[in-house]
Order: sequence, then C-alpha cells, then structure tokens
Amino acid sequence: MASNDFEKLIRYVRLHLGDGNETAGRKEIEKAWVEALKLLLDVPPTDRTFILETLESKDAATLAHLFFDLHFYFVKRSGEWIHDGTL
Amino acid sequence: MTAHSSEAKQLRPGLWETINERYPGSMITKDDLVPLARLRKPLSEARLTFVSSAGVQPKGTMPFDVAHPIGDFSFRRVPSDASPAALEIHQIKYPTNGALKDLNVIFPIERLQELAAAGVIGGLTPNFFSFIGYQMDPARFERTLAEEIAEAVAAERADAALLCPA
Repeated sequence: MASNDFEKLIRYVRLHLGDGNETAGRKEIEKAWVEALKLLLDVPPTDRTFILETLESKDAATLAHLFFDLHFYFVKRSGEWIHDGTL
Repeated sequence: MTAHSSEAKQLRPGLWETINERYPGSMITKDDLVPLARLRKPLSEARLTFVSSAGVQPKGTMPFDVAHPIGDFSFRRVPSDASPAALEIHQIKYPTNGALKDLNVIFPIERLQELAAAGVIGGLTPNFFSFIGYQMDPARFERTLAEEIAEAVAAERADAALLCPA
C-alpha cells in the first residue's frame, strides 16, 4: 500500500479500529476523541512538561505507536468496548 | 461586547455569526457593558501597555497549549524592550506567514518602541502581555485570564492599554 494513498490508509485505520467494520471504526475514533475531550472540559491541571518532553525526546514512530495506544486507552475508559470478537 | 453593539459595526459583516456557528458558546456577551476609561493625560505623557491574543512569547518560556480543546488560560509577559528575535509565536488559529517574516504585523513591539523613543508615547510598561485567542470557555476566560492580565497591567502602572486581537 502506497504510504501516501490517503483513502486506502483511512479505510485501513477505520477497519483496524472497528475490527473489520469501517462504520464502527469511524465511531470508535469519535468515541476516543470525545472521551479525551470530556476529561479536559473543566481544564484540570495537566503535566505539560511531560507532554512536551515526550514529544521532543521520542521518535515519530514511537509517538505514532503511543497515539494508537492512547486511542484504545480512551475507548476502554469510555466503558463501551467492542473488541470482544463478536463484531 | 454584544453582537449588535456599535463596536461590532467596525468589523467584517457577519463575523459574529461566523464565530458563533463554528465555535458555539464561545462568544462573550455582556449586557452590562463597562465603558472604556478615558485617558487622563496626553498620550505623550502616558505609560502604554500592550495586550495581545497573538500567542507571542519569549523563547524558552512554556509554549502556549495550542492542542488543548478548551483553551490555554495562561498569559506570558513579554518584555517591552525585547527584540522580535527573542520572541516566538505559539498559535495555530490564524495564518502566521506574515508574522513569521515580520512579527510587527501582529505584535508591533518595535513600532511601539519607536513611538516611545520619539516621545509620541510617554513610555512603555516593563512588560507587554500575550495569550492565545482560542478560548472556548468565556466565563472561565473572564474569571481567570482576563482578571489576571488586568491585575498585571495595573501593577505595572499603565495609563493606557493597546488591545490587539489576532
């Protein structure tokens, strides 16, 4: 797959996050973002030094990997976990 | 400022509607408008401060949090005698192409220094004040950032403030 083929890549990531269901994958992306947003609505204190040091000290591939881990972290935190093999 | 105040007429027609459509709930609306204070001395004798939402800050200070979905309710002090080379922009909500070539187009620090040196302005406060304009909780903005900047401006004994939205 060409790394610059956006349409195929976005379908790929939706299928991955939706366990083979593209519509579910799109919903999962939105779910993760909403879950993250909910935690910040009241603007609680956060460790920005950690965030900035991580962004500056880690390579892009590690950060990309972390990005996927964060997605699943927030999806799991939402309490609505579809990844049980039944989709 | 209300959407239909006389000040609004100076802006691009439809601006408020556009902002409310894209960022619902983000606009501050006040019915109890506080009138602007009158200048008590000639500008040539007044100490001026500058308050900007351009996200300009001294290099080496904690970058404004442009990723936060609600906003960054902090401000930075920018020494009024700083050179543009000592400053940087952390803001993603307006095109910075021009400002990156000449900071003065969005943060006219050198122009203000020149006006003070020429005596057009009586002087400048030791610091100017900068924050980012993406603030999606107007009540929090008013309660925290606006109050803190107002106190900081008063502490530097400003006679007048130049307010510049980005």
